Amino acid sequence: MSTPTARRFGRITLDMRQNLASWKQAAFLGGSLAIGLAISVAILAIAGIPPLQLASELAGVLNADSLRNTLVQAAPLILVGLGASIAFRIGFWNLGLEGQMIFGGIFAAAVSIHQIGPPSTRLIFMGLAAAVGGMFWVLVVAFLKIRFRVNEIIATLLLNYVAQYFLFHLLYGVWQDAQTAFPQSSQFRPFERLTDIGLGVNSGLIIAVVGVLVAGWFVHLSRAGFYMRFISANPAMAKVVGVPIQATTILVVAASGACAGLAGFVNVASQESRLTQSFADGYVFSGVLIAFLSRNDPIVVAVVGFLIAVLFITGQTLQVFYQIPFTMVQIIEAIIVIAVASSEFLIRHRIHWIR
Amino acid sequence: MSDFLINWIANAPVTAVPYALAALGLIVSERSGVLNLTAEGLMLVGALAGAGTSLTLGGHPVVALVVAMVSAGVVSLLFAGMVVVLRVNQVIAGLAVVFFCQGLTGLIGTLANWQNKQITGLPSLVLWPFSEIPMIGRLFFMQDPIVYLTILIFFTVNFVLFRTMIGLRIRAVGENPAAADAAGISVALHRILAIVSGSCLIGLAGGYISVVSVKLWVTGMTGGRGWIAVALVVFARWAPWPALWGALLFGCIEAVIPRIAAAGIRVPQYLMLMTPYLATIAVMVWVGAKQRAGGAEPGALGQPHVREERR
Repeated sequence: MSTPTARRFGRITLDMRQNLASWKQAAFLGGSLAIGLAISVAILAIAGIPPLQLASELAGVLNADSLRNTLVQAAPLILVGLGASIAFRIGFWNLGLEGQMIFGGIFAAAVSIHQIGPPSTRLIFMGLAAAVGGMFWVLVVAFLKIRFRVNEIIATLLLNYVAQYFLFHLLYGVWQDAQTAFPQSSQFRPFERLTDIGLGVNSGLIIAVVGVLVAGWFVHLSRAGFYMRFISANPAMAKVVGVPIQATTILVVAASGACAGLAGFVNVASQESRLTQSFADGYVFSGVLIAFLSRNDPIVVAVVGFLIAVLFITGQTLQVFYQIPFTMVQIIEAIIVIAVASSEFLIRHRIHWIR
Repeated sequence: MSDFLINWIANAPVTAVPYALAALGLIVSERSGVLNLTAEGLMLVGALAGAGTSLTLGGHPVVALVVAMVSAGVVSLLFAGMVVVLRVNQVIAGLAVVFFCQGLTGLIGTLANWQNKQITGLPSLVLWPFSEIPMIGRLFFMQDPIVYLTILIFFTVNFVLFRTMIGLRIRAVGENPAAADAAGISVALHRILAIVSGSCLIGLAGGYISVVSVKLWVTGMTGGRGWIAVALVVFARWAPWPALWGALLFGCIEAVIPRIAAAGIRVPQYLMLMTPYLATIAVMVWVGAKQRAGGAEPGALGQPHVREERR
């Protein structure tokens, strides 16, 4: 380690911190989050929601009745966050979470429409099909990356558009609901829906919680998780000592796609009970945000996912009652990422002012 | 059949211009070593700013395009501040800016009620008497002014990047920032300059879509063209002229889609709309299969320059 050299910008000098007490890191993080949220509140105020009204809406989201909706919304968000975080752990930028969700939803709906399996196990079949659908859509990119060194950021993003158009193709074509003639699939049968299992908790949340536990075991305790840490810390060394880089990458990417596919299934089977045109809208960046804020830790993903669900439900409320477009949620998410990412500058650098 | 071909090829420049300008803007900023994923967002900013200006002033497409350029340049300062000054991970910063712009343009477009309102476009420049030449006249001498301006911009940017001192400095900063820094070139200043000037071109690309080509503002109307431009830059090996040819290729692909349906050929429309994205992936596979990856990439692409960390 070389000694840090100071640099002067006029009256400001900058030098590298070796490390920073964790409470100070938390303080910087909290401070930047507060600034980000303050900017968001300001934008909302300009858009016509006074802060006091916003506070009462937010309080409304957290009461018992809306809490149920929030928990239903949290399940797909947590799953998408898991999908993003495990892929990001090995530096695979899976930004195709929306496309994988769509394919998860399509595969699940296919099981419902073609009535595959007896009614008693139909839901399980749908979930498995959704996981396979998400996996399929991301493994295409993993193959292209490994075989042709195709940049996965662009490829996954572009495949979102392809998946979206494929969904339109189905919903305006063979899968169009004959009863309503709307571009949506016909409604799932009662035994094909994720229902409440008591205390207002939806069974989709159970899937998400199991996903969190499995992912936590996978990245922290399993052999593959150890390989993942090795690969992200030092790929050259990992290769030399014989870590199966390619097999681990494929496994991790497939797991990431499966999570996103399951998110698609949970979303369609617990909320609308049918495929709609826009059921996956806004989930890519939510996944990135959740992974980023949780530092790719599956256990933290559960907490952050719940908080983003609060944001989603608030956004829906504002959309219904104040005609604020739902893209507001995306703005707030981006501001939070920008604020938190910027705060890392203060964690890594020390600034002195010379008087 | 020849009508179909002429109609198609004559419209290709209009669909190619956004790709060409956005890719060129990305090349300028990536040549300075900044991995720039912001194109999709900044094109939306340009498109909204252009459409908004045109609707507010009731016309004035040239003013609208200038406003589109300036607003994308201003928004790109946010990205520049994050990656150059605060040294944030360039992928995270780029994505955050894209999604911020997507959200913000959607919000402003809806609240200001600019959705689906007709915009006065830019009339075609009919270069008489060349425009009277059969076929060639329609293809080359009856385009809108921005098509010709784009070619001029390519000459200028190519000249500045490869024949002037400032271009040399920008490339030096992208190739080896530590060496450039030691030679007394300000890495931060040149990177910010490259990002902002490149983003103005991206903004023009967006403004062109809403003001000249589509003549409407629709939320999210760039529809992934920014990402295709990012892929085009890799395809073009960070060189302007190949980017122009690539843009023309994508212009041809995009221009053929509405014409196939108009010609009465029955194809599923949503499957047709996938073709630009699938073509982009095919091009990326082709680039990878040629096994030349990494050769032309700016040496320090994606790495923040932290002088205090040198060892």
